[in-house]
Amino acid sequence: METLFAVLIGLLVAAGVFLMLSRTIIRVVLGLAFIAYGVNLAILTVSGLRQESPPLLTLEGPYVDPLPQALVLTAIVIGFGTTALLLTVALRAYQVAGHDDVAAFGDNLARNPDAPDGQHADPEHLSPDTPETDHTDETEIQMAELERLRRITR
Amino acid sequence: MTLAVLFPLIMAAVCALLARQLGRRTGYLAALGFLPALLLAVPLAGNSVEVGGTPFNQVTGWVPELGLNFAFRGDGFSLLFAVLIGVIGALASLYSVAYLSERERFGRFYPYLLLFGGSMLGLVLSDNMIALFAFWEMTSVTSFLLIGLWHTRSEARDGAIKAFLVSALGGLGLLAAVALLSVAGGSTTLSGLDLEAVRASPMFIPALLLTLLAAFTKSAQLPFHLWLPTAMEAPTPVSAFLHSATMVKAGVVLVAKFGLIFGTSALWGGIIVPLGLATMFWGSWRALKQTDLKALLAFSTVSQLGLLMALYGLADAEGRFAATTHLLNHAAFKAALFFVVGIIDHETGTRETFRLSGLRRKLPLTFAVALLATLSMAGLPPLGGFISKELFYEAMIHAGPGFIAVSVIGSAFTLAYCARLIGIFFGDFRAPEDDTGQPLKPHIHEAGLGLLLPPALLAGAALLFGILPSSAEWLTRRAGAALNFAGYEGHLYLWHGVTPALLLTLLTWGLAALLVWQAARVYFLQVHVEFPLSSNRIYRGLLRGLETLASRVIAGTQGLALPDQLRITLAAAGLMGGYAVWRAPQVFQPLEAVPLSTLPIAVLLVAGALGVLLSRNRLTAVVLTGLTGFGSAVAFLAMRAPDLALTQLLIEAVTVILFLLVFRSLPGFRSLPRGRVRGVIDVVLAGSAGIGATLLVLASIRFLSPPISPYYLENAYKEGGGKNVVNVILVDFRGWDTLGEIMVVAMVALAVGSLVRLGRRGQARSEKDTAPASQDLLDLQKRQS
Repeated sequence: METLFAVLIGLLVAAGVFLMLSRTIIRVVLGLAFIAYGVNLAILTVSGLRQESPPLLTLEGPYVDPLPQALVLTAIVIGFGTTALLLTVALRAYQVAGHDDVAAFGDNLARNPDAPDGQHADPEHLSPDTPETDHTDETEIQMAELERLRRITR
Repeated sequence: MTLAVLFPLIMAAVCALLARQLGRRTGYLAALGFLPALLLAVPLAGNSVEVGGTPFNQVTGWVPELGLNFAFRGDGFSLLFAVLIGVIGALASLYSVAYLSERERFGRFYPYLLLFGGSMLGLVLSDNMIALFAFWEMTSVTSFLLIGLWHTRSEARDGAIKAFLVSALGGLGLLAAVALLSVAGGSTTLSGLDLEAVRASPMFIPALLLTLLAAFTKSAQLPFHLWLPTAMEAPTPVSAFLHSATMVKAGVVLVAKFGLIFGTSALWGGIIVPLGLATMFWGSWRALKQTDLKALLAFSTVSQLGLLMALYGLADAEGRFAATTHLLNHAAFKAALFFVVGIIDHETGTRETFRLSGLRRKLPLTFAVALLATLSMAGLPPLGGFISKELFYEAMIHAGPGFIAVSVIGSAFTLAYCARLIGIFFGDFRAPEDDTGQPLKPHIHEAGLGLLLPPALLAGAALLFGILPSSAEWLTRRAGAALNFAGYEGHLYLWHGVTPALLLTLLTWGLAALLVWQAARVYFLQVHVEFPLSSNRIYRGLLRGLETLASRVIAGTQGLALPDQLRITLAAAGLMGGYAVWRAPQVFQPLEAVPLSTLPIAVLLVAGALGVLLSRNRLTAVVLTGLTGFGSAVAFLAMRAPDLALTQLLIEAVTVILFLLVFRSLPGFRSLPRGRVRGVIDVVLAGSAGIGATLLVLASIRFLSPPISPYYLENAYKEGGGKNVVNVILVDFRGWDTLGEIMVVAMVALAVGSLVRLGRRGQARSEKDTAPASQDLLDLQKRQS
């Protein structure tokens, strides 16, 4: 049974990693959730899966190991917290950048608002770091300088 | 011995606390710190470490399971050296009481000095090689602090950094060497090493080379000598301590002690002796060029260290005997000379040779001390230096004609710079002036007793070693058993008949006389002959190259988009994990029978995962994730964990609701192409992560130690009063964990709340930390140029 679960955990982790590497922000969040599932199962699996009673003293012994269960219980809740936080960050990133492509998030999320998907989802709530129109010249100069520096440092 | 090492460290703390009240008098406390080290002279004088006697050991446990202990071994050589450190340390502390200005930060100076002295004592007394390495690094760190004491001056900072970088490089070498030796020799103590096994091991040569790297960097041998001259930026008492007895001799100690392990190899002497002689020649050549007295002494130290290295590198009884004798002589005269230069600097305000002359008229006592010490350094009779120089020639005659030539020429240069050093005392007195012609000090008078006594004592020792050679021999013989020259027949005499060594000495004197006679021409030649490949230039080039490399790595790896960053990280983790799996023993069991009831769980889990990968609709994706979530809840049930299943179900429901809430303001799924190469990379990464996780789980299904869970099962009801053991663990036994968990959830709630509100208002203004990234690169570029 352990071997079966080991393979299942492997599958979950692989799916999670693959999702995390994709460009859509929601997939990244889901990927993390899958890795969390895998890890939770792994903690229980490595303590050995036996056909014994659950660790409730009202039942007859012998019992399975209660400690990993306690750890996983904590892990589930924390995993939920992480997912919730990530989701809000994803939402916020989308609002700021105007798109949900993580590969196009630079250091400055809204560096390129003119990209094909650069439409602001929420035109009323502009991002704090969207360059405003009268600053475009300055930005262009900075971008040119950045390019120049990149060429030097490479 | 443990006390001798610990006491300076304790006194360092005391001095740091009391320095504000005591001011310069802290120096007396500091000198007191070296008292236990001085007391080591008692066992040294007794019969316990007499020739062939047994050393005494003290072991204090540190991490005994790993062979990490403070094992101190008081053999003759270690004790001799420890006493030397104690003497010079105490004298330097006393001297600095009179030397330092009232405004000096005593609360730093004396603690640093004591810390350094303590780590140096630990280094020479330590038998455990790992502790030896730790003390070795401590000397690097504390000497960094001492050299950079006047850190407002850029030269001091530069010197301190240089000294630290060079000796830390060697320290890493020593760590590797120690690791190799302890693996090959089966023990972490020097005395416990199985020498036969070490010599037979393939790690012998690498360990030898790494040890040499450590010794050469610490003892400023070519090409690592660059740090020593700049280390003279330290206050003079520190220079006396660092350059004469301690820091720089650490490498010599290493070569002396490890020579007993590696000495049988031809490579050992084959590297050390030529390099040592080259260093001796180069150091004396450069010393002759200096006009700053302290720089002259610094290069002279480089030169003398080369000599010591070459002698110990011979790895025979004769060489060790000569080297140990010279070690004592060198410590005596070099520390005395540094103190003298300190006096001159203190009284006249300058150290430049061309500003000083005729000082014997104003500083007669200082002159007497300086004369004795200089004669000893020059190797002239009837001083200790002469005797050890004879021994040096004697040893080199057996090494070969090329070595003789280098040592004679090097010694001639030594004589020449000694003449230059003592020259400032002769001639008519001129009051030293600065560049504008103003006198530097109005009245020049003899130094006080506090400044004169320490060098006088040391010069007296140098004289004693000369006129009464048996005293030096008595001391040297103490190290005989430890360094394997107990059977050596040689004795110390001022006059030992007309021998080849004496002829060489006469030749040296002739050469030196020529050099002194043609001093102006030699100096002209020295100033105009420049070697293009100086190690300082290499050092700077290396530093600059490192900086460029670092900024390129940063530019290439930082600031990438998230997936690329993740790919790099995962690939690195995968490579390391893969290596671990490849090297790990095969512990996997064969497939066992799978109960039919688990198959639906497997199907649920896999279906969820695959479904999400394939789904093109965000709602489907979330529902399918939920499928896996419910799958794992069922799995928890099958694993006999009802609480987990319940929690998982609840969380799953909440998560789906959360997603649905968020989806209101997020766009639908789009399929964004990864690109073909990246797609392949991603599949490989994901696959290896999955395989890695599987292997990890399979490999971990063994108890490394007995499980602690029976304790919980037994005590849950007795102490927690609950029958659900998992719950009791959470709220009673591991209550802090649960509290932490609640904190995490609370923080997440706060963060989520504020992020959501931020989005609502839409009033946020641009802040400094969201400035365009180009600014960072600009700054970087500015710093580089």
